[in-house]
Amino acid sequence: MTRIPFDPDAIRALAAVLNETGLTEIEIAEKDSRIRVVRGGASPALAAVAAPALAPPVVISPGPSPEEDTPPGAVLSPMVGVAYLAPEPGALPFITVGQSVTAGQTLLLIEAMKTFNQIKAPKSGTVTRIMVTNSTPVEYGEVLLILE
Amino acid sequence: MFQKILIANRGEIALRIQRACRELGIPSVAVHSTADADAMHVRLADESVCIGPPPAKDSYLNIPAILSAALVTGAEAIHPGYGFLAENPRFAEMVEAHGLTFIGPSPAHIRMMGDKIAAKEAMAKLGVPLVPGSNGAVLDIARARDVATQIGYPVVIKASAGGGGRGMKVAQTAASLEEAFGIARTEARAAFGNDAVYMEKYLDHPRHIELQVMADGHGKVVHFGERDCSLQRRHQKLLEEAGSPALSAGARDKLGATATAALTKLGYRNAGTLEFLYQDGQFAFIEMNTRLQVEHPVTEMVCGIDLVREQIRIAAGAELDYTQRQISFSGHAIECRITAEDPTTFVPTPGRVTAFHAPGGLGVRIDSALYAGYFVPPYYDSLVAKLIVHAPTRADAISRLRRALDEFAIVGIQTTIPLHQRIVEDPEFQRGEYTIHWLERFVAAN
Repeated sequence: MTRIPFDPDAIRALAAVLNETGLTEIEIAEKDSRIRVVRGGASPALAAVAAPALAPPVVISPGPSPEEDTPPGAVLSPMVGVAYLAPEPGALPFITVGQSVTAGQTLLLIEAMKTFNQIKAPKSGTVTRIMVTNSTPVEYGEVLLILE
Repeated sequence: MFQKILIANRGEIALRIQRACRELGIPSVAVHSTADADAMHVRLADESVCIGPPPAKDSYLNIPAILSAALVTGAEAIHPGYGFLAENPRFAEMVEAHGLTFIGPSPAHIRMMGDKIAAKEAMAKLGVPLVPGSNGAVLDIARARDVATQIGYPVVIKASAGGGGRGMKVAQTAASLEEAFGIARTEARAAFGNDAVYMEKYLDHPRHIELQVMADGHGKVVHFGERDCSLQRRHQKLLEEAGSPALSAGARDKLGATATAALTKLGYRNAGTLEFLYQDGQFAFIEMNTRLQVEHPVTEMVCGIDLVREQIRIAAGAELDYTQRQISFSGHAIECRITAEDPTTFVPTPGRVTAFHAPGGLGVRIDSALYAGYFVPPYYDSLVAKLIVHAPTRADAISRLRRALDEFAIVGIQTTIPLHQRIVEDPEFQRGEYTIHWLERFVAAN
C-alpha cells in the first residue's frame, strides 16, 4: 500500500484559517501536492465528466401514439363526444377518486349525436385521477382517468 | 357567413382549405387521426379534434366521429376536400340533417353523378356529347354483343358504381367480349358491391380534358376553362396543364357553353368538373366529379381565382359576382403531383422527411403539408406535394418547371421528382403531343 504523505499540522492550520475567515473552502497546491479543506456539511458533488454521449439513433416511429405520452393505467376515450360523469344531472357520479372498481364497471358516459355510450373499466383497480370534467368535449385517445 | 368550418380531410388539401378559411376570417376545425397529430394543418389549426386511430375507415371515413366533432366544436359547415367522404351522398345528407352546411353540391347531384349510367343519361338529355355506347346498363352477354356490333370494336365495359378509372375492362375483338364482360361484372360486384355495367366505344388515342365549373345555386353557372390531365399512370393523374396544348380558345368556349347550359338546366350548385375524352377533334363526356379536384391550382393560376373561397362563399348563400365574360385566362400553368414513391418502381416510401426545401420565385406555387422532421404516415395515399408553375406561355412554364424541380429538395424519403424531371426533358411532352397512353409507354421505356 502506498503511503500518501500528508502534513496534519498543515491541515489543522488551514482549518483554523477557515474558521477565522469564515471561508468555506481552501485549497493549496504545490507541484504535485494538493491540500483541500472544506467546512463541514455536504460538499457539492463533483460532476462526473462523462464521455460525450453518442446521439441516440433517430428512431422512425409511426408517429406519436397515445401510449408513448400517457401514464400506465390511463383509460383513453374511444370516441369523440361529450363526457358525463353521472348517469343523469343531479345524480351521484359513477366514480370518485380513490374508489375501487371492477372490470366492466361503468366509469362514465360519452355522448355523441344524442347516443350515450357507457365507458367501462378495462380491468379492476383503483381510480387515482379523473382527468375530465362533467359535460366537456373529449376527443379520440384523450386520457379520461387513471386506473391503477 | 359561417362562424366556423370543420375540414373533413387531411394533408395538403386540409391545409389548402384552412388557408381559404383564414383569409375569409373564418375559424376552422382540423380533424385528424392519431397518425396525423403532428400534421402541419393540425399544428396551424385554430382547433383540432382527434377522431380516431390511423386507419381511414376509423377516422377520415368515420361519419359519426366527424359529425360528433362538428357538434362539439360548434362548426356550422363542413368542407369535405377531395377523396374520403367528398362524394359520399349519405354523408352529405347526414351533414344537412344535423343542421350543418355541406360545402359542395346537393346530395341528389352527388348521388346522380356517382352512378355513372345515370350521369351519362342526364348529360345526354342535356345535350352534352357522349362516347358512343350502350345508353344504359348492359344486363347480359347478348345485349353486350348487340351494343358492340353497333358501336364497333374495341369496346370497354365499365362498372356503373366505379369511376376514376376503376372497374374497366377492354374487349379488343368479338372473340374476347364474353370473357371481358364476365370479369368486369365479377370485379364490379367485388369492388363496389354492384355488378351493373355499361359499355362504350374504346378510344385508342384520346386526351383527357376536363372542364372546371362553378354554380352559385341562384341560377348562375360559369366555367373556368379546361385542364389537360392526359398524363396518367394506372388511371392516376401525374401532371396536369391549364389550358390544354391541344385546344384553341374557340374550342374551349364552345365546350364551356355546352357544359354551363347543361348544368344551369340541371340546377347544379357549387364546384364540379366534367371529364371528357377528346379524340380527332371530338369531345365525349365520360363522367362528372362533384367536388374540388386535386389539380384545381392550375385553373386558379390561369384565372386568378380562389376556387375554395368561391366554394365557401356559395355554400354560405352568396351569388357569383362576375359573369362568364369577366373570366379571363392568362398564361399557362402546369402542376406536378409529387408522391412519396420510388420514381421508377412506384413502391410507396413512407418515412421521416429529414430536410425540406421548397422552390420559390416568380410563378412558383407549392401546395404541400410537408416540413423537415415530418413523418409521412403509411396509412394514406402517397401524394405529399403539388408543384405548380405559371408563366405567360407554355414554353416559359416548362422552363420554369424545370428550374423549380431542380431546386426542390425532399430528403429522407423517395419522391417522384426525378420522374417529373425526365418528363420535362421529353421532346413529345415539350411539343404537347401526348394522349392518355403516353405516360405508361414513357415509364416502360425509361
